Amino acid sequence: MNEAELAARVRNVTKTYRVGNLSVPAVRGVDLDIEKGAFLSLAGPSGSGKTTLLNLLGALDTATSGDIWIGGHSINGLSNKELADFRNTNLGFVFQTFNLVPVLTVIENAELPLQLRGMTDRDERRDKVEKILVEVGLGDLLDRRPNELSGGQQQRVAIARALVKNPTIVLADEPTANLDSETAREIMVLMQAMNEKFGTTFVFSTHDPLVMEYATRLVLLRDGKIESDERTEPVQNAI
Amino acid sequence: MPSEDLIAGKIGIGTTVRIAWRNLARSRRRTLLTASTVGFAVFLLEVLTALLIGIERQSFDNLINYQTAHAKVYAAGYFENRDELPLNFTLTSLDETEALIRAVEGVAATTSRLAFSAQLSDGVDQITSIGTGIRIRGSDSEVFRIKDAVVDGFYLEEGVEGMLLGVSLAEFFEVKSGDYLTVLLKTRDGAYEALDLEIIGLLGTGFPAIDRNGFLLPLEIAQEMLDTRGEATEIAIRFQPSAAETSVVRRLSAVLGDQSNLEIKTWKEVEEDFMALVEMKRTAQGVFLSIFVIMAIVGITNTIVMATYERTREIGTMMAMGFRPSGIRGLFLVEGALTGFVGGAIGTIVAMLVVGYFASTGIDLNALYGEIDIGYPIKDMMYPAMSMTLFLVSWVLTGILSAIASLYPATRASRLRPATALRYV
Repeated sequence: MNEAELAARVRNVTKTYRVGNLSVPAVRGVDLDIEKGAFLSLAGPSGSGKTTLLNLLGALDTATSGDIWIGGHSINGLSNKELADFRNTNLGFVFQTFNLVPVLTVIENAELPLQLRGMTDRDERRDKVEKILVEVGLGDLLDRRPNELSGGQQQRVAIARALVKNPTIVLADEPTANLDSETAREIMVLMQAMNEKFGTTFVFSTHDPLVMEYATRLVLLRDGKIESDERTEPVQNAI
Repeated sequence: MPSEDLIAGKIGIGTTVRIAWRNLARSRRRTLLTASTVGFAVFLLEVLTALLIGIERQSFDNLINYQTAHAKVYAAGYFENRDELPLNFTLTSLDETEALIRAVEGVAATTSRLAFSAQLSDGVDQITSIGTGIRIRGSDSEVFRIKDAVVDGFYLEEGVEGMLLGVSLAEFFEVKSGDYLTVLLKTRDGAYEALDLEIIGLLGTGFPAIDRNGFLLPLEIAQEMLDTRGEATEIAIRFQPSAAETSVVRRLSAVLGDQSNLEIKTWKEVEEDFMALVEMKRTAQGVFLSIFVIMAIVGITNTIVMATYERTREIGTMMAMGFRPSGIRGLFLVEGALTGFVGGAIGTIVAMLVVGYFASTGIDLNALYGEIDIGYPIKDMMYPAMSMTLFLVSWVLTGILSAIASLYPATRASRLRPATALRYV
């Protein structure tokens, strides 16, 4: 695939953890190309390496060996400060436990990535954030704190927070695991809509069949290696 | 901008302070507990320091007013033997020398004094005392404030043959004003002299050297008895209130420099033993209070350590969003500093109220200590110093020290790997 069409390229990446004197390989020589606009699910049993691979793609962890490019930029050898800036500019995150900053309101949580990027014009920033919050259905809840929201609403804030900076990839680690099935479906529909509307690349790590239903590509991991990689026909806004 | 980067990464100090403040409010009880401990330490620091400053100021004023003046001029050789009160290093040409000194800019007044060792006796008991001959006509009371310390009877007047006696000595002899004591002394030539003198007044200066051991009499009588007419052991100098001490001393040294038989000593040099004691007490109190404040501030380290453990996953989330390590560090430093500032403010406000109250009413030393000597030349009432500099400096320092106390946990938090922090349960 053409370099320009790729959101991420992973080449021969390994990740080995040290536990005492033991070396535990979590990812073993993975090669993966993720095209722009993909709605990709990394699936596999516990310990298969899907979360580790997601963390490596998210520049949250560094590979033991191999190379990773995000949006054409290599993230190998970047300092902690450079990695922080890289994540801020290129990557959005959605977590299993929502991970909103509890002391900030909905709008403050969503605008934090823009502040980190140095967008100092408050009106411009708020305008952009409000639009995306309306888009995810939270236009009426801007000044609520996370503890005043349901799980689904919190996950919507997290999606808005991830999308507000137009990232190259949104990485979602088990995004439906803490939601009831109806809310989980709503969240998947929302992410699918965002993927279609903005063309943002989504990569999930999951073992929830629901998430796999919506994915357009399913990468199955086992023992730190890719076991299968296939295109799938997604469910279309099944709610 | 490097300074902003150091504190908050790219997020800006305003947002960092807002998040930090809300985090403190989130753990309100813990914040208040830590801040109260700091506040109590700051309160103690400020109140005890205000007391110390107040005691020192009063002591210095009393020293200058009753004993040392701002500076003294001696005949060469007197100062190093002053404990023996020698009569063989005396000043002559007193009027001319005083006129020379008074002409120096910054000098307000001068007076000559003659100090000597004598025995006081009531016919039954006898005690070694320090007598001082003072000029009655104007000049001694222009330099010293002895007049204000007369607690019974009157101050010496011209032509009156009598003495002012320290209150403790009067208690020893069980005498009061109007009674007589005998002064026994040896002249410079070794001849014995005795004179009965009426006690005109009793002196309560708070200064042990006078109250317990001293008596004052007219200079002419002392000179007559000691056979040292026209001579004195010292010329005491009072500076103008606005004059800078070091400048006046420099000018005096320049004027008197031609006369190699004279030496000038400032009040601090005259009372060098007392000043050393003051310095020692300052250090001891400083060490004691520093330990106390440090213990309170270590509480802040503990609180921030707890906060970083509790919020490890939150730290991971912030890092995922793009917080730089410096931003994470800055956030916890600001939380520590804010805790210190809040605690410091509580302590300072209470200290200001307490010190302000006692600075106006005073603290009754007799009620506190009775007759116990507290080691400072003050009596009756003690006034703590209402020093805004003290309050401001200790408050600001508390905030800065609290930030420093947070440095270790804040740095530890900033070094977490985002993936590890996000996994933390």
